[in-house]
Amino acid sequence: MKSATSLSAIASVAYKEMLHIWRDRRVLVLILILPPFFTLLFGYAFAGMSMSKIPTVLDDLDHTPDSAKLVEKLKADDTFAWKDAPAPIGNDLLAMKAAAVIRIPAGWGDSLKKGHPLPVELIADGSDTNTEPVLEGVLKKTLGDVQVDREQDVIDALPDDVMDLAQKLPESLRNQFATLLDQWPVQSTILYNPKLRFIDYVTPGIIGLILQLLTVTLMALTITRERDTGTFSQLMVTALRQHEIILGKMLTYLLISIFLILTTIAVAGLHFQVVFHHPGILSLTCFLFLLSSLALGLLLSAISQTQTQAIQFAVFYLLPVFPLSGAFASLDQLPGGVRFVSELFPLTHFCRAFRLINFQSAGWNYLAGDLAFLLVSTAACCGIAALLLKRAQD
Amino acid sequence: MIELHELRKVYGPTTAADGVSMQVKTGEIFGFLGANGAGKTTTIRMICGLTRPTSGRGTINGLDIWRDRHRIRTQFGYVAQKFSLYGDLSVVENLRFFGGAYRIAPSILDERIPRLLAQMDLEAHRDKKAGHLSGGMKQLLALACALIHDPPLLLLDEPTAGLDPVHRQQLWNLLYDLGTAGKTIVVTTHYMDEAERCTQVGFLQKGRLLAQSPPRILRNSFRDQLLEVHCEPAMTALAAIRKHPAVLGAALRSGHIRVYSEHAPTLLADWQNEWPFADCTWHGFQWIEPDMEDVFSAYSQGYDALLKPISSPTV
Repeated sequence: MKSATSLSAIASVAYKEMLHIWRDRRVLVLILILPPFFTLLFGYAFAGMSMSKIPTVLDDLDHTPDSAKLVEKLKADDTFAWKDAPAPIGNDLLAMKAAAVIRIPAGWGDSLKKGHPLPVELIADGSDTNTEPVLEGVLKKTLGDVQVDREQDVIDALPDDVMDLAQKLPESLRNQFATLLDQWPVQSTILYNPKLRFIDYVTPGIIGLILQLLTVTLMALTITRERDTGTFSQLMVTALRQHEIILGKMLTYLLISIFLILTTIAVAGLHFQVVFHHPGILSLTCFLFLLSSLALGLLLSAISQTQTQAIQFAVFYLLPVFPLSGAFASLDQLPGGVRFVSELFPLTHFCRAFRLINFQSAGWNYLAGDLAFLLVSTAACCGIAALLLKRAQD
Repeated sequence: MIELHELRKVYGPTTAADGVSMQVKTGEIFGFLGANGAGKTTTIRMICGLTRPTSGRGTINGLDIWRDRHRIRTQFGYVAQKFSLYGDLSVVENLRFFGGAYRIAPSILDERIPRLLAQMDLEAHRDKKAGHLSGGMKQLLALACALIHDPPLLLLDEPTAGLDPVHRQQLWNLLYDLGTAGKTIVVTTHYMDEAERCTQVGFLQKGRLLAQSPPRILRNSFRDQLLEVHCEPAMTALAAIRKHPAVLGAALRSGHIRVYSEHAPTLLADWQNEWPFADCTWHGFQWIEPDMEDVFSAYSQGYDALLKPISSPTV
């Protein structure tokens, strides 16, 4: 009776599990559709994270050559999509269907000449927290440009004897004045994600989303479903050992998860030209994350008695994971305590390690912590699950 | 084949099995009788090694049912009370899977599966999904899956519950064939006619095994024949007779009233002399040999006065 190896027993469980998935068309469709769907969704929906064409109304109450210069510069910037509104232009953004109003107050040109410039007003929609900082930045930059132009004009218009006087100043002092008058330049160099595209940043997040949604829940359901239908007892009286049943099931979802990762990477790479560097270590990272997802699913199935409970636990886990794991946004804004919580999710470590490898070509010393966490969490989940399942048997 | 000694299972405040001791010999068809909740399923699950006994011990062919549970699993086939095969797999896929789970070589399965399908009369449904089979065919498939590794022992938990009489008959014929072929069978049931077909019967009540004997001996454990009275309307008479102080109980059988009483001859003489129940009419009486249902009633209702003392558990 013991002639057949344990491997063939595991394989027969895995084959049976494959048949279940093949017969359950809804799950099959999810497995086939979710990776391309999420990749395309995130690729397109967040494609223009650098904002443009924000509907804005320009209200020039000054009508001087100075205000005309500012208007001209603003109109050249494609951050704005200028909208017309009937005068007098108030602050009712909703009625104007605009995101902001830029108002140059009356007497602005005069105030510049008097040395007490009036502020240019920006009226923006605070319910959209992303837009306001972008508009403010562009407005400040444009004002700065206008200011530099004006400085040049002022210097050009200085009488000659003032210039002669200036020539007599010591050179170091002259340079300091010159520096004060110039706008200080900033040249930003983007390291690590030079194309600055969201899809490049978010690809590991999509892989994580899909594996947490599908691998964890499917794995959590597979054992509880057998408990619900009574087949788990039937399995337990066969010559199969519990670890063979679990390994057989894990093998199935391991293969499916590899398929999920590969399709996500294929869509991201072929459709969005996302580049993947260091395939070896990147695969290792994906594999470790995959194992931790399987182990987590196993743990959920061990702590739940029924499928309903397993789903409840899965939702309870999945809800905080996505905002707190850094899958779709940087973790830097999170307060300290919450960041500590986010460090408990395997997805956090996976996303960080993936980006370190793919963007920064980071060495082992940068990755060791994250990879070790994935490994340790896998072992911990499996260990606790084994303990719980063993206790459930008694 | 099976020996149980003081097997107990306690779930929190309830004692599901309370010191069950019994023996099943090779080649027997052993019937576990008992009401729902009497502890039949718990006892079978302990024999299967699915539930750890709280105390006591049991062996199958000398191997401990808990400590050696992984080794004895090839020794028996188990059909659970609830249909527990894979409804989304076909008949053949279920058989193949369980064959693999018992580590049977594919070449042996190639020969064994057609034979089992023929035996269970399932050849025409071999590619049907198990979930789409009728209740009777599901049970036959479950039996086939339990036999896939050709075990010497079969444990069946209410295999005929909810089946129509034709499939019930078919299943029992199969069990007889298997018994003749040398398999030991343990089956739980609450159908008394099925108990009659077993070579040994054990009565379980509230987790205790009250008696274990062949059905014939159990029937003979009554001291006397039973009195059956014919009267109309039967339901009125039944209610009235049940209230009689000298009567332990009464049951309606085929329109007649079976009276459980240790003073039956005296009662009969009184009633023939003067029928006390004015609202129903006396039509006659007869003496009846007790059947298994009477035995079950006597044990489960505690009519000890009607039984001979020899029928206590013999282990």
